[in-house]
Amino acid sequence: MLAKYLVRRFLASIVVVLGVTAITLILMDRTRGTYVPGIDLNPALRPEDIARLRAGLGLDRPFYEWYLTWLWNVLHGDFGRSMIDGSPVLSHILDRLPNTLELTGTAILLGVLISIPLGVIGALRRGSKTDHALTVVSVAGFAVPQFWLGLLLILVFSVTFEQHGLPWLPSSGATSPVGGGDILDRIEHLVMPATVLSFFYLSLWSRFTRSSMLEVLSQDYIRTARAKGMAERRVVYLHGLRNAVIPLITLVGLELPGLVSGGLVVEVVFGWPGIGKLAFERALQYDYSTVMGIVFFATLLVVAGNLLADVLYAVLDPRIRYA
Amino acid sequence: MSILGQTPATEIEAPISTFEGATSRPAQSYWNESWERLRENRIGVAAGVLILVLAAIAVAAPLFTQFLTHYEPSRLDLTATFQTPGHPHLLGTDELGRDTLTRLIYGGRVTLGVAFLTVALSLTLGTTVGLVAGYYGGWIDDVLMRIVDVVLSIPAIFLFILMSILFRPNPISLAMIIASVGWGGVARLVRGEVLSVKQRDFIMATRSIGARDLRLIVRHLLPNVLPVLIVAASLGVGQIILIEAALDFLGLGIQPPTASWGNMLTNAESYFFHSVWLVVFPGVTIFVTVLASNIFGNAVRDAFDPRLKAH
Repeated sequence: MLAKYLVRRFLASIVVVLGVTAITLILMDRTRGTYVPGIDLNPALRPEDIARLRAGLGLDRPFYEWYLTWLWNVLHGDFGRSMIDGSPVLSHILDRLPNTLELTGTAILLGVLISIPLGVIGALRRGSKTDHALTVVSVAGFAVPQFWLGLLLILVFSVTFEQHGLPWLPSSGATSPVGGGDILDRIEHLVMPATVLSFFYLSLWSRFTRSSMLEVLSQDYIRTARAKGMAERRVVYLHGLRNAVIPLITLVGLELPGLVSGGLVVEVVFGWPGIGKLAFERALQYDYSTVMGIVFFATLLVVAGNLLADVLYAVLDPRIRYA
Repeated sequence: MSILGQTPATEIEAPISTFEGATSRPAQSYWNESWERLRENRIGVAAGVLILVLAAIAVAAPLFTQFLTHYEPSRLDLTATFQTPGHPHLLGTDELGRDTLTRLIYGGRVTLGVAFLTVALSLTLGTTVGLVAGYYGGWIDDVLMRIVDVVLSIPAIFLFILMSILFRPNPISLAMIIASVGWGGVARLVRGEVLSVKQRDFIMATRSIGARDLRLIVRHLLPNVLPVLIVAASLGVGQIILIEAALDFLGLGIQPPTASWGNMLTNAESYFFHSVWLVVFPGVTIFVTVLASNIFGNAVRDAFDPRLKAH
């Protein structure tokens, strides 16, 4: 049953990936039709040179042909070459990937580690001042623009702190350009972007943990456990929390694709050399082979994240049936 | 990031056991009851009023600039750049000597306009697709829902970037760009609702007296999914303002010299050392507006769909 369900989900995922890449390409095709990157910067080029350049990049072929070739190559692990600098797209992605994973991975980890305890506290002390304070923080987390929160942090912890001679945090990049790169330097750079990113996750998941916990604690089996005289601690953590966290896993799984694309705005604000920033810059330069590669990659993650969330959920909660 | 119909926040709740029907109070229409519940939520009402006030200011922007700030939003004054808040510029001026308050008021026009238009577009398309998919089922449902899967699986931010480069957005095309992703969640939501309503007896009764598909959908299914739509709309506004602000900030949304709350922050880094208010005011405006939208959205959700009410 599970196997059949998985096969069906897998096939549906392939359709999704094909759809997404096709849509991306149709969009890019509209821009590439007339454009070779950088061509307007060079007045010495004759029309026949431009035609030759376009042919070299495969721009003279109809887009479905380009798409099929691209798809065929990608299936063989060849993401093509960047239209800007001619280097392989895959190496661009792999260059930036560790930085992005470092940032978003830290943010998601922080989010999970902090939000679950906060959610549990909120549920156990429902209606208390602590609970209200946590609610306010999480409501604020949903409403604050990430890029603006980032700007404020830079303003306070980089600019103002430096002006007042306090120890300040670097505002940009993943390492210091000179003499950087050791673990402490990386952490210093990571603090602010990871904080901004995890603040959102924190708001989302702590609310969810809270309501899920409240829901579980009102179940009959919790009452039974209490009636048996089980210690409250055991009731809450063994029976309550374990069941309350199951739906959270799906939610975290759904954020996994955010590992690549979710941090784009934060990466741009903090000059973090990750995949999001790469995609942003390259899209502005019409480097569509690079953008296609990144979108394909990110979509794979979305699909994989959804699939993983479903599977984990099914494994962890045997009540789930696959219809 | 999801936008409409599956907004994060408390909307995604753990499954909650419900009791259908069986109330002992005197019969009262659903709408009256919901309205009552909404009115009792004071914070929610206050948030709703705040949104209305902001919308009113945006609509009446020319009046405000004429009688309150006395400046035009795009009027440059290079002799009065980076004025501190006070007199004559209540909230100071930017690097081109433009009045910040005036630009905030006009920016609200753009930002709120885009947000409401986006919600309207997403709801229209999403509802149509959801109704058709849910009602007809079969292969129509399969095809439409696969399209929805695709739409919801595209990392939205990339799509926005590509489309913005392609269309060089004005407020209307920007709304269309954001709505092109936003409708997916609505469609899924409406379809789910239709599937459950379709099973009820009154639908069969209506069909057995000879009602046609169109009549069934418009007169009987649509009113039943309306609560879900109202909730999705009011929860969606805040999310859309955030997305729009981020795109404007990145330079991909509303283009200068037209002011929007997001693009007023595009050059924020260059104000850090002398004009902090230029970073603070637009951000606070976005924050407060989104906060109010979310609070109001939650209040509407609690009032119209009490099954989903957060604990």
